[in-house]
Formats: sequence, structure tokens, C-alpha cells
Amino acid sequence: MENTLKKIWKSYSIGVVVVVVGIILSLLSPRFLSIGNLLNVMTNASLVAILGLGMTLAIASGNFDLSVGSTAAFAGCISFSLVPVIGVPASIAAGLAAGALVGLINGLIITELRVPAFIATLGMLTIVRGAALIYTDGKDLYLFGQTGYKVLSGEYLFGIPTPILLAVGIALLLGFIVSQTRFGRHILAIGSNPSAAQRSGIPTNRVLWAIFSIVGATAALSGMIISSQVLTANGRLATGLELSAIAVVVLGGTALSGGQATMIGTMLGALLISMVNNGLNLLNVPIFYQELTVGVLMLGALAVNISQGFDVRRLFRRQA
Amino acid sequence: MSIAKSTKSTMSANLDWDVLWERYGIATVILIGWICAYFFVPKFSNPDNMLNVIRQSAFVGCSAVGMTVAIISGTFDLSIGSTLALSAYLGLMVVAKTQSIPLAMLTTVATGMVVGTVNGFLVTRIKIPAFITTLGMLFIIRGLSFIISNGGEPIRYNGKAFTWWGNGSVLGIPTPIIIFLLCAGVGWFILTHTPFGRYVFSIGTNSNAAKVAGVPVANTTTWIFVVVGLFTGISAFLIGSRLYSAGPGLEPGYELNVISAVVLGGTRLAGGRGSMLGTVAACLLYATMANVLNLIHADAFVQRVAVGLVLLLALSIEGIRQRLFERASRRISTVKSEPSTI
Repeated sequence: MENTLKKIWKSYSIGVVVVVVGIILSLLSPRFLSIGNLLNVMTNASLVAILGLGMTLAIASGNFDLSVGSTAAFAGCISFSLVPVIGVPASIAAGLAAGALVGLINGLIITELRVPAFIATLGMLTIVRGAALIYTDGKDLYLFGQTGYKVLSGEYLFGIPTPILLAVGIALLLGFIVSQTRFGRHILAIGSNPSAAQRSGIPTNRVLWAIFSIVGATAALSGMIISSQVLTANGRLATGLELSAIAVVVLGGTALSGGQATMIGTMLGALLISMVNNGLNLLNVPIFYQELTVGVLMLGALAVNISQGFDVRRLFRRQA
Repeated sequence: MSIAKSTKSTMSANLDWDVLWERYGIATVILIGWICAYFFVPKFSNPDNMLNVIRQSAFVGCSAVGMTVAIISGTFDLSIGSTLALSAYLGLMVVAKTQSIPLAMLTTVATGMVVGTVNGFLVTRIKIPAFITTLGMLFIIRGLSFIISNGGEPIRYNGKAFTWWGNGSVLGIPTPIIIFLLCAGVGWFILTHTPFGRYVFSIGTNSNAAKVAGVPVANTTTWIFVVVGLFTGISAFLIGSRLYSAGPGLEPGYELNVISAVVLGGTRLAGGRGSMLGTVAACLLYATMANVLNLIHADAFVQRVAVGLVLLLALSIEGIRQRLFERASRRISTVKSEPSTI
């Protein structure tokens, strides 16, 4: 009984935190619970969440992708620049393809050149960012009179903004893939023990290519959403977003050591950060305090998780 | 794998190209690169230009010395970019108020060490993995420096005695490079000639075994983060002095630049292996590349692509060699096994 309680707490603690923070914020500021504000919170959350959902797959397989911020910029710029030429749907497809291609290159560098994922994607971070800047010549791209691209960020079904729908859809899809398909089991197997996975006949290389392509495509999607929100794009889009995405995944409860994934956790992690930032805005706290929230929440959540059954005296004892 | 490798290198009289590449590869590349650039790139051979190249390498270099120690021990520190901004800002604040350079130096270094202590505490006592701890601290420290600066106005100070540290020179040698080489020397000495250095290598090779063998793993790890903070503080002082100013948004992405320089220098991300010489050479290589690309009027954006490509190229050489070796040995084994099947 106690064990199951502990288990439930472990998997749903982030949800409890989200609810508690929500109650506190709605007490502190009456505007927090208005529909418009809640949709705003969720839209902001879904931008990082989409990146984080892809990243969850990579982390579940025991890898990182540090290049997602650059990929978002690259794919965003490509898709944005193609809108006047080939129309909105085709340019969105082109953006996704560009992102998936970058991801595939990541995968190939990792499996064929045997560069560790951390370094491979670190190298790609600067390369792809450079490529995005070269492609746009360092300038801003604008779309004049072409509001069709707003489809990615405008209100759509039942007044719910598209990014939220996309994030929920991707979470459902990837959650299904991880828990119900062979591909998903392969991902988790590689994450828990790569050499055992390889010896038991899992085509690790192909699985890794697929993972990184998916990560690239999700990164591309969030890059396109960001550029569609403001209807501009440039090569500096989404700088530093890779570390925020990793933070969201960790906050959601996916272990960095691999072998396990929770898409709901990632969604809730993104939601929590977005809620707290929104709350700080409503309470007129200066905007630069928001930099703190990601770090404090992440370290706080982990410290709490780790410290269950924690002996305070250990802090002061000499350690071997 | 690594055991097989080390026995191979000690037992066989043959040169182990992987080990040689790891130790001296980048140093060789930078030597050849300089010679080529000297003869083929117009204006590179100008002494002022060459001194400028080595000056530029120091600003990433000092932090890279600390990061080398951390990576050899199998951890790394993502918070140094934010730490750099915070300690440069505090250092500028102190020097602008008091005009005292020793005090500013003390502030930057102490800030770095305090952040390092907090990192070390969280990693060894609360037992949050280093990656997550330092990632969290990246956001927290960056936020703190924005809060302290109340939104982000940079502080300026251009007293001659202060800016000399980043822009001046002693007997024609730029001051930053002297400090960088001193740091690297100290780092090299600590790694190779002290018990602390041996602890660092043994933790990086196998931290459980190190613990069993009586290495004070927790305390050493805490000190490693303090050392990283210390060298980051020195970098912060030099950068603040070089730019005459420091703002809370200073150098975003600095941590990844430093890590890629260390890794390019042949230090293994998995820990246990690495050298200061490689780190120094890699920092020089990045500075040289930037300079050469500037001289041939390449885009600033092309530079980013080049930096990434060099990193990937250097790190994939070993993997490619492994694959070739495996293919060759597979061919040999099939040839050998043929007679027995007949």
C-alpha cells in the first residue's frame, strides 16, 4: 500500500505540483483563471513542449539532441521563405522535411562516424545555426499580406489555438509509439542498455536514425510555430532553446540515464514553467526574474524527488 | 574496450595511432595550420595579427583549463557561461566603485568559486546529477545577474590600469595569453603531479573503483567544481577588461564553446583521459580559424559552420579508423575460416 502510494506520487508528483501552483496563482491573481489567460499559458507551454516531446524520445534512448534550437531556426527560415513560392501547406511540409533531414544527419554522424551524441549534436548546433544565418544572409524575413501562414499559430478548432492542439496531438502520438509499438520498445531497450539491445538483434542504428529524425521534425515544427506567431523569421530564432527543452523533460520526470519516458510529464513540465512565468507577469514581477524560474523549479523538483527518505544529517557528515 | 585499448598500447611496440592522435593530434594540426596560414594567407604573418590570434584564444582558454579538469573526472559544468556573466558584472561593479584592481580580481574569482561550491554541494550532497545541477544553475545564475543589474544595463569602466589586463602586453606578449599559459601550466601541474590530479583521473576512469580504493570522491568532486569556477572567474576578469564593460547577457552559449574546445583537444567526454596541451592547442586552433576566415573575408556565419565541422571531423577520425580496422579484421577472419569449412 505504502509502496503503491510512493509509486503514484513518483509518477504524478509533477501533476500535483501543477495543480497546487494553479490554485495558488488563482488565489493571488483573479485574472489567472480567465479563459484567455489560460489559453495564453497553454500556448506558451506548447512551444517548448513540442520541442521537449521530441527530446523525450532522444533522452529515453540515452542520448541528447543539443541541435534542436538551431534546427528550429533553420527549418523555420526555410519554410518561411518558401511560402510565397510554393504556398503554405507545401512550405510547412518542406520545413518538416528540412528538420527531419538535419535529425537524420545527426543520427548518421552518431552511428556511422561513431561520434557520441552529445558532441555530434553540439557540432551540428553551430553548423546548422550557421547554415540558417547564411540562408537568410543574417536578415529578417517578412511575409507581406500572406497571412495563410498564421494557420500554425492562429485560433482554430473551437477557439483553441493550433499550437495547443499540435502539442497534445504529438504527445498522444509519441506516447502511443513509446508504450504500444515495437519501435517504442526498441527505444527504451536502447536507452536502458545499448549493447544488450544490439546483441538481442535490435537494429539500433535504424532506430537511432528514426529517433533523431523525429526530434528534428518536432524542432522544425516549433520553429515554424514561433515564426508564424510573429510572421517574421531570422537565423537567430530559438537561440538557447535546446537547454530549456532538456530542462522541461527533466522536470517532467524522464530520467537522463535513459530507458524510460513520460510524455505527460514533459507536457506538465512545460505547463508548470509557463504557469509560473505567467503568474509572475500577472503579479508585476520584473521580467528578468523569469530566468530564475526554470532553474529553481528544476533543481527544486529533483531535490524533492531525491530527498524522499532523506537524512538531513548526511549533509554534514564526512563522506568517503 | 578501454581496457583492451590500454593493454594494447602498453604491450605492443607498435605506435597506437589512436592514442597518438588523441594526445598530439590537435597540436600537430595547429602547427601545420599556422605554417600554412603563414605562407598562404595574406596579412596573417603580420606579427601584430599573430599576437592578436593568441590573445583571442585566452578568453575561452582560461575557462577551458578548469573544464578540462572537470571533463577528465567524467562530469562537466554547463553553468560557466552564466557564471562568467555574473562574475564579470560584479568585478566591473567593484572596479568602477573602488578603482581597485586587486579587489576586482578577488571579486570575479571569488564569485566563480562560490558558484562552484554551490554546484559541488548540490552534486555531492543532495546528489542531483551534475548535468542537471549545472543546467539548473545556468538559468539561476543568469537570472541572478539580470536581477542584480536590474534589467540589464552593462557597466562600463575604462581605467588604463584595468583595461591593460585584457588589451595590454608585457615585452610584446599579450597579457591574456601570459595568464592563460600560467593557468594551463598550473592546471597541468595539478593534474599530473598532485594527489588531487590522480584522484581526478581515477574518478573519471571508474568512480566506484576509486571510491573503493579510498579516493575521497565527494570532496574531490566538490573541489573540481570550485576549480572550474575559479578559472571561469579568471576568464571573466580578462573578458571584462578586454571589453571595458560587462552586462548580464554576456556571452550566451559560452559553456558549449568551452566544452567543444576541451573535447576538440582530445579530452574524453566519458572521462579518464585528457590533456592540458590538447586544450591549449584547441583554443589556439579556434582562434586561428576565426582569424584566417576573417582575413579571407569569409562571412561571420561561415565561421560557425567551420567551427562545427572541425569539431565533428576531429571527433570522427577515431570512429572511422575503428570501422576500417573492423572491416579489415573481418576480412582476415573470413579468409582464415575458409579452409576449415572445406
